[in-house]
Amino acid sequence: MVTEEKKGEILERLKKAVIEYDEDAAKDAAKEALEVGVDAAEAIFNGLVKGMEEVGRLFEAQEYFVPELLMCADALYAGLDILKPHMKKLDLGVNGSVVIGTVEGDVHDIGKNIVKMMFDVAGFTVYDLGRDVPLDKFVEEQLRTDSDLVCLSAMMTTTMVGMKTVIDKLKAKNPNVKIMIGGAPVSQDIAEKWGADGYAKDASNALKDAINMISSLRKMRDEAEAKKASK
Amino acid sequence: MSSTNISSRERVLNLFNGRTIDRVPCFSGMGNITTAGLKSLNYKFATVHLDAKKMADAAATTHKYFGFECGVVPFDLCVEAEALGCEINVYAHSEDILYPTIRKKVIHNEDEMELSIPENLHEKGRIPLVGEAIRLLKDDIGNSVAIGSYVLGPFTLAGQIMELNDLLKLSFKKPDRVGRLLDILTEVIIIVAKEYEKAGVDYITVREMGATSDVLSPRVFKSLILPYLKKIFERISVPSVIHICGKTNDIAPFMVESGARAISVDQKNDVAETRKKLGKDALIFGNYDPYNVLVAGTPEIVREAIKRCIDDGVSAVWPGCDIWPTVPEDNFRAMMDIIQEYRR
Repeated sequence: MVTEEKKGEILERLKKAVIEYDEDAAKDAAKEALEVGVDAAEAIFNGLVKGMEEVGRLFEAQEYFVPELLMCADALYAGLDILKPHMKKLDLGVNGSVVIGTVEGDVHDIGKNIVKMMFDVAGFTVYDLGRDVPLDKFVEEQLRTDSDLVCLSAMMTTTMVGMKTVIDKLKAKNPNVKIMIGGAPVSQDIAEKWGADGYAKDASNALKDAINMISSLRKMRDEAEAKKASK
Repeated sequence: MSSTNISSRERVLNLFNGRTIDRVPCFSGMGNITTAGLKSLNYKFATVHLDAKKMADAAATTHKYFGFECGVVPFDLCVEAEALGCEINVYAHSEDILYPTIRKKVIHNEDEMELSIPENLHEKGRIPLVGEAIRLLKDDIGNSVAIGSYVLGPFTLAGQIMELNDLLKLSFKKPDRVGRLLDILTEVIIIVAKEYEKAGVDYITVREMGATSDVLSPRVFKSLILPYLKKIFERISVPSVIHICGKTNDIAPFMVESGARAISVDQKNDVAETRKKLGKDALIFGNYDPYNVLVAGTPEIVREAIKRCIDDGVSAVWPGCDIWPTVPEDNFRAMMDIIQEYRR
């Protein structure tokens, strides 16, 4: 059994590796975590994710910029790749799957990849359509995978209007699907106007929003079933 | 000469030359075609990037329809990258408005960053086509309004020809290597700008939005990007503008230091603060939101936004990005009307 002290030290190293974008340190700490018997989920959430939370704070404070963020994400994945196979199915109260992609006309995928990382961490099944994705593809993929959530990203004003088309089509086919949009030109105002369920200003908000949305979806289903049962 | 009789062209050129003008002009250095204009010509959006006449015709409509005080070509951000060998996608299949993007990049790994500039670059890709469009546009409306064109900044161009992800990380890990690429691209950009000058443009905008403070720190902007921007502006002979969108308050002084005649910022810039920082003589162009105000707003919202720009102290009312083509005609007219009426 690993001592609390040792565990604390390893978690701290995982956190620090992410903050200091040190992929090798993340790998070493992740391997050692498994060797000494730290629970993989705990190593992810109290180590790597803690580090990413601090990165988010540094980003907000404009101490870190996108290059640092990308390198921190690499370090997180370096640890995650080692830990994830050993993670027991997480009980976050959600068991979601998500379709994610950047809309057609937009070849920028950095924001989308950061959001995707948060879903990976949280144990979602992620269907990543990549970038420059034809609008109908989002609808097809949602139907095919029956995902709870669709995330659309656009980096430029000139492409974000495509998101409205996708929202309309998705809602027409499946009114229960939750849709989250994000990207530099997107605002809360636009999200509301276009009928999106969530809006991610940045990656750290995206995860919180995603979990809230899935929870509310389950609630809706439960209510519908309770209604059926009472008849 | 009565000031009300001067043409839009003279007004804009006087502004660039530091002369007193009767009112702030309303123009842009970036794409500004509208679906109203395209419809009048019966042109599909995807076709106007590939044909000099269509490009020029389309570019002229915003002035002809709404009195916008310029004509600008091209409309997409792929011209330089394409001339360097990238493959572009114009989304010919689409009825929607999709701007061309790069489908195939030319740099796939670090070694390929030692790029050599193709011989006769000025004859490659659509550079001659844009030159021809500038000439046609000048013949058409060049007596009434200033004719502009744009090139990308070196960092933004680098992001077009290699994975942005890699570029950003390398700009941190190996700034020397990125610097060498930017130096090569600086030469490319100068060659393209010179072609446009030869074709007769009145002003050139350098779009370096990849280096916005939303992405790169002001410190990296200063050390890695600014030296190359300086080189470019040293070589551009016509009036020049540096455009960066997103967060720009901290780098606005560097934008001026680049040697551009004017700086162009978007709605995220606090122009009142920038004006205070840069002084009364700096040319600051901006900074209405071309989508949330011009397209999604109402004429009243447009008028208020434009007044706000003028109150904040812009030297020209100018959009934060390309004008999104589906702008409602009433909104565009509201903007052009308020420009005539409102004074700070």
